[in-house]
Amino acid sequence: LSSVPLQILFYVNGIYYIFYFLATLAMIVYKSQVFSYPDDFLGPDLTLLLIMAILEALRLHLGSKGNLTEEEAPLGLSLVITVSSVLLSVYFLVWQTYVLKADVIINAVLLFTYGLESVLKVIAIAAFVS
Amino acid sequence: SAENRAAARAQPRSGPAPVTDVAKLCVCDLLVAQCDVNCCCDPDCSAADFSLFTTCSVPVVTGDSRLCSQKAATYSLDVEANPPERIFKLIDHVNPSVFCIHTTNYKQALSFSSPEMPTAENFDQLLKQFGSSSFSAEPDSWNTDTDAQNLSDVNETYRYEYGVPIQTVDAFLRLPSPVVSSWCSDANPAGFLVNQATKCIRSVSVEKCGNIQAVSMLFYTNSSILAVNITVQSIVVQSLNGMRTLLNGSDVLRLPMILDELCINIVLGVSYHITYTDAGEIIEAAASFVLGAINKEALSIQQSFEISFTQVNTKPVPLSGNPGYVVGLPVRAGFRPQGYPFPVEILLAALILNTNKYSQLTILQSTSNQDCLAAQGARTPILFGYNMISGCKLRITAAMKCQPLTQTLLDLLKGQSFPEYVASFGNSQAQDVLDWVPITHLHTSEQRIYNTFQSSCQIPVSLEIEVKWTKYGSLVNPQARIVNVTATITTTTLKQLPSGRERTIPITSSVVFTDISSPAEPGYKAWPTINVKLPFDFFFPFV
Repeated sequence: LSSVPLQILFYVNGIYYIFYFLATLAMIVYKSQVFSYPDDFLGPDLTLLLIMAILEALRLHLGSKGNLTEEEAPLGLSLVITVSSVLLSVYFLVWQTYVLKADVIINAVLLFTYGLESVLKVIAIAAFVS
Repeated sequence: SAENRAAARAQPRSGPAPVTDVAKLCVCDLLVAQCDVNCCCDPDCSAADFSLFTTCSVPVVTGDSRLCSQKAATYSLDVEANPPERIFKLIDHVNPSVFCIHTTNYKQALSFSSPEMPTAENFDQLLKQFGSSSFSAEPDSWNTDTDAQNLSDVNETYRYEYGVPIQTVDAFLRLPSPVVSSWCSDANPAGFLVNQATKCIRSVSVEKCGNIQAVSMLFYTNSSILAVNITVQSIVVQSLNGMRTLLNGSDVLRLPMILDELCINIVLGVSYHITYTDAGEIIEAAASFVLGAINKEALSIQQSFEISFTQVNTKPVPLSGNPGYVVGLPVRAGFRPQGYPFPVEILLAALILNTNKYSQLTILQSTSNQDCLAAQGARTPILFGYNMISGCKLRITAAMKCQPLTQTLLDLLKGQSFPEYVASFGNSQAQDVLDWVPITHLHTSEQRIYNTFQSSCQIPVSLEIEVKWTKYGSLVNPQARIVNVTATITTTTLKQLPSGRERTIPITSSVVFTDISSPAEPGYKAWPTINVKLPFDFFFPFV
């Protein structure tokens, strides 16, 4: 059976990620105006945010499809993509050019969500395999 | 180590390292080595100074306020206590906003970057980057290697400008001087190229002989001026009755000690001689001491301090102004050495200056005994701006011969070594030949009617030196500059006297200073003219 908590989590994650993406983008724009943010540092930050958005969309789609069709392959792929999403989130938490307190908060929430999702995915894969 | 020094010199020099420790940063500390009023973070202020403050002009020193948590140094005055004291607290300052900066991975984010110092290597690149009318605030390549250069700065020579305090390893070279009263204050820093001579009183006693630092030689020699050590040039020992003897060996440091109820080797005077190059670096420092002794009754001694600066490879010549002549200072003069001006490199000074003031431009000094021949060659230096006239009476007897008398009178009027050149500015150096004005000599005769038939004997009776000077430079601070010096010898005919008769003629010499500066003329704009040009065919069809 498909995991209902996992599906709920995917739905919430999707909405939260839209908020996260807009907030991070707005804060990068704010930082570039208020602080000295040379192009060498602004480029990578924006690029990584874009990559993260694409990966997130892919990840959520694959995970949702895998959960609903009870197939472990898309779920497994989604889990692998989650690892890279976690890395990107850690980048925005620690290695960004300017890390504001708001950045710390939203990234911490995102990481918590990823962790919970990963646990539920593993359980779902285990359930589907057996 | 010669290669290291050459390599260090080839590195672009950076400015002073940025201060990032809030406990050490003080924005109101403006006066060097002195306490600023109401500046609670000034390290030069003592507890006694703090008790006189009314408020703290800088209450908080923090870094960028946008950081989430940072150290802040707070300064406040506790007026309840008696005497009021300064309270210094290092606290953690927290920014409550959710958009405060938690961390930053970009090093130059929150501080101004140290600009690159131009050197021969990077000058072209810097000119390309910053030479146009506008440039980007964030250039492509940041110089992130500033930390490595700071350590080598301490050993490099430091270039001074006029008036800048001379830096020593820990603070500044101090010349004790009287501040408000005559008591010595040790906080007066010596300025570069500022010749000072001060005298002040210090309280001493035989019991505290070895404890008072400021009377010991070590206090004045232990601070080295950056890379240059202060050497002891000479030591003069003054006994209790005032007699001074120069010591032979001046290598040993003589510290105050008690001997026979006297405290000896007390510093009574220090004279610093600093040698500098024309690039503004100090290469040598020497100190000459006068040591004395005090007995049990002495409560205070007078110390005198002096500092003088000499450019390397030049002899110290006292200046008569900087640059224009100062009224009352002697007019500087000199000679051209033999063989000049061949166009070879001039290794020595182009002009030999007379440091003996009595061989300068001098005139005859009138004595109480008005007899010229008994005048003994007393001369007085010519001071700028002071017109002088002097003279004596010459008793001519029949036995006097013409030629020796003429020569004697010329020696009397002009002196033993009458100079050939006069400095146009008070600080003209001997190497700059164009700064020196040649003395023009004129001869006139007193007799109006020139009787060429008589084989007359002309004896000089008067020397008139006319110095023409002008005001040079800005209208606000004009400098006096000597433009022309003319020495006119007036001769008169010596008539042969019948034997036994005597005649007395007056001999005069005078100096006149004439101001030939042209007055500043106002400039008016030209009247506007109407420039009307009619078109070519204005009067068509009549023309």
